[in-house]
Amino acid sequence: MRIERDIIYIILAFIVLMVVVPWTAGQLSDQIFFNWPFFFEVAIGGLLSGVMYSLVALGFVLIFKASGVFNFSQGAIVLFSALTLVGLHELGLPMWLAMIATMGVMYLVAVAIEKFVLGKLVNQEHIILFMATIGIAYFLDGFGQILWGSDVKLLDLGISQAPGFYFDGLILINDFDLFAAVVAGVMVLSLAIFFQYTRIGRALRAVADDHQAALSVGIPLNHIWIIVWTVAGLVGLVAGIMWGSKMGVQFSLALIALKALPVLILGGFTSVPGAIIGGLIIGAGEKLAEVFLAPMIGGGIEEWFAYMLALAFLVFRPQGLFGEKIIERV
Amino acid sequence: MIYREAGVYKSTYRADQAILTIPQDRWFMTAIFAVAFLLIPAFSSEYWLGAIMLPFLILALAALGLNILTGYAGQLSLGTGGFMATGAFSAYKLATSFPDMHILLVIFGAGLIAAAVGILFGIPSLRIKGFYLAVATLASQFFLIWMFDKFGWFTNYSASGVISAPPMTIFGDIFVTGPQASLVAKYMFTLSVVVVLALVAKNLVRSNTGREWMAVRDMDIAAEIIGIPMLSTKLKAFAVSSFFCGVAGALWAFLYTGSVEPLAFDVNRSFQVLFMIIIGGLGSIMGAFLGSAFIILLPILLNNAPNLLGLNIRTDMVSHLEFMIFGALIIFFLIVEPHGLARLWQLAKEKLRLWPFPH
Amino acid sequence: MDMNERKIGDVILALDNISLSFGSMKVLNNISFDVKQGEIRSIIGPNGAGKSSMLNVINGFYHPQEGSITFRGEKRKEMDVHKAAASGIARTFQNIALFKGMSTLDNIMTGRNLKIKSNLFQQAIYWGKAQKEEIEHRYKVEEIIDFLEIQDIRKTPVGRLPYGFQKRVELGRALAAEPDILLLDEPMAGMNVEEKEDMSRFILDINDEFGTTIILIEHDMGVVMDLSDRVVVLDYGLQLADGPPDEVRSNQKVIDAYLGVSH
Repeated sequence: MRIERDIIYIILAFIVLMVVVPWTAGQLSDQIFFNWPFFFEVAIGGLLSGVMYSLVALGFVLIFKASGVFNFSQGAIVLFSALTLVGLHELGLPMWLAMIATMGVMYLVAVAIEKFVLGKLVNQEHIILFMATIGIAYFLDGFGQILWGSDVKLLDLGISQAPGFYFDGLILINDFDLFAAVVAGVMVLSLAIFFQYTRIGRALRAVADDHQAALSVGIPLNHIWIIVWTVAGLVGLVAGIMWGSKMGVQFSLALIALKALPVLILGGFTSVPGAIIGGLIIGAGEKLAEVFLAPMIGGGIEEWFAYMLALAFLVFRPQGLFGEKIIERV
Repeated sequence: MIYREAGVYKSTYRADQAILTIPQDRWFMTAIFAVAFLLIPAFSSEYWLGAIMLPFLILALAALGLNILTGYAGQLSLGTGGFMATGAFSAYKLATSFPDMHILLVIFGAGLIAAAVGILFGIPSLRIKGFYLAVATLASQFFLIWMFDKFGWFTNYSASGVISAPPMTIFGDIFVTGPQASLVAKYMFTLSVVVVLALVAKNLVRSNTGREWMAVRDMDIAAEIIGIPMLSTKLKAFAVSSFFCGVAGALWAFLYTGSVEPLAFDVNRSFQVLFMIIIGGLGSIMGAFLGSAFIILLPILLNNAPNLLGLNIRTDMVSHLEFMIFGALIIFFLIVEPHGLARLWQLAKEKLRLWPFPH
Repeated sequence: MDMNERKIGDVILALDNISLSFGSMKVLNNISFDVKQGEIRSIIGPNGAGKSSMLNVINGFYHPQEGSITFRGEKRKEMDVHKAAASGIARTFQNIALFKGMSTLDNIMTGRNLKIKSNLFQQAIYWGKAQKEEIEHRYKVEEIIDFLEIQDIRKTPVGRLPYGFQKRVELGRALAAEPDILLLDEPMAGMNVEEKEDMSRFILDINDEFGTTIILIEHDMGVVMDLSDRVVVLDYGLQLADGPPDEVRSNQKVIDAYLGVSH
């Protein structure tokens, strides 16, 4: 995969900023405490949470890459899959069985979405499909909570959430976050291989380009969509498990999806590696800004920093880091 | 048959360009105005005026604003709430800093400030399009709400954090805000403001500015090639749209809830207004009103339907059901009539042209 | 078609040594020709020869890497899209670029946008200056609608019109700007004989009545030879020939690359 020189410069510039700005802030302000081990702790913590964002963003990228649809309901899918998993587990199924059953449920959800929504909106403009996914999001939100109730649920994977000391006891890192990073890495790799090298992957890319054209060469659109949405459901499930273990399975999980949007902007909507790098940048940037910049302004900038960061990137590169540049012809 | 264009001959372009060209349309509009200005204030209950008509009108105004930006100019925006908040807080600061300023000036001024902020956040639209722009508008949404929440200056450093809109009058002694204001006064004031601004919106979209917006929406490259300036066209859309949303925000805070708080204008509000224009019809003035009516009335219907049907459902269940039905309805509308209630209305009128004859 | 009857003036547009590349792909290679005021100039050549790109260079949508454009005596490296429109260059497109959400009337009215002077506030009030202006321009646009014989469809959303009518509306939009130079990119593509005759008549009338200079890309050789005063032939970005139709028609290079020989 070729990486343009521009992108490397941008990423390097960003890394430099991420180090220099906190250091300067630490020098200038009494309210901000800076030393190198602490910096790395925050940075790594940020990177790891960025990986979690990437997991959610991956679901978006999949569906966008394969059908050109910006799936606003990805957050709701994350929530619904996690709720189903925990719900089934509480009903008595052992965890491994519950996972398989949930995957089956997500398949059914994909089938339903294809039949009742996508199939009826073939060849409509993308904005209409986008708005339909907002409808799906609301529907899944309500449905999931009717089925499984709306109190916070615990999801225990048996992996310690306590921070452990690494690098000779200098830096605190969460075991769980590391685990999440590994899981995400494996997912990304498999998905990248899937898209690039399998027949189905090629078909998916064709569909993303042009529905009608794909249909006319015999690609079974509805099968493709079911596959894609099922895979997105799986990715959502993994993301749901990770986030759910971290913060409990609850309604606000769906809001994590909103956070994935700046990740997508940075990374470009159609790039799997972009989702990862975008997630890392947003995650680290956000955490570093919160710890090393926010005290000067009053705190709480996590609410909007990711978006502003993405916006700043967009101004320089409207298609995101790895997105496809749209060449307009007349 | 009863409703038809046949026999209606327009002999001047002026007549052809009028907003209402068919006599039956003119009768219909007159009737609506009569109901709105005379019947409703005379016969409605407090509940109806205060809890339904006021939010309906104010959100319709916000929907008009968003429709101008998204429906006519094609710039997808999820930042409506933020601009409404700007209007609300600007109005508060203006009213408290200049206690003698007339309420119309306060609201107008709030709208202008919101327009300026809208222009600022609209600048990225020159480089960014489509979904990317939508996410960029989220930046404005989250940032503005955070700013109004965080900095005490906006609330005049109120200790409790709850600030109420000061009482203000029109025509000397009729209160429209504050505890002494009657609902009828509030309603009439809001109605007048909304009607005037709706007329302004209609004028804008049927003149050159409206055509420039639609050209940018439909094919911006071609628009540029025939000489339409991207910069000023898009920024005008943001400015006008934010003006409308700002006025709506000021009305919401001053006349409806009586208090100014950022939470009323969070990202959920932005989505709510977006749904209004989707369901009502993108690129339609009437659609803003239809959509607002739909979104306001639906929860009331859903809340009362179980009782009417004799079913007993827990309240939290009801809200989940609302979500489900809401989502399903959006999908339904998009499948059946992506152009919303406004198009359904037009189709109904076309059917009326033939009725009662079959063809 | 008697050339002496029409008033053909001096050179209004000159292109010198224009080269245009996209990345490593050279689309136009050292093209030079000029256009005289009031003439009908055709650009012909096989598909992919760079003809549309040439038009795009003329109205500023593409910027050439080398060469210069002299327009009304002013020499410059490239044109600016907005300035081109403002100084009297209008065009139609190979793949129709109409505003699908608007009616025929509104589409043609957009062609008047540079001539409409009322500002935002005047338009918001509408009654008064803005309305007067709208009606003035409506008169002009109706003349064009008459000319192109599209009265029946003036209120129809253009997305619903058949292809041939859409092309006419696009021509109308270009005419609405009262251009000095009209760039037509395959105006007769996809039309039957009758429609082509109509379109040819329109083009001739525009040139005759308004004195508009026309630069035309077309594949129908009959049309090209009948209408044009002079023809430029492009092939894979290179210029093969430049001259009156008869000369070009008998040019060997052109015959080999494009025209072929009638058997």
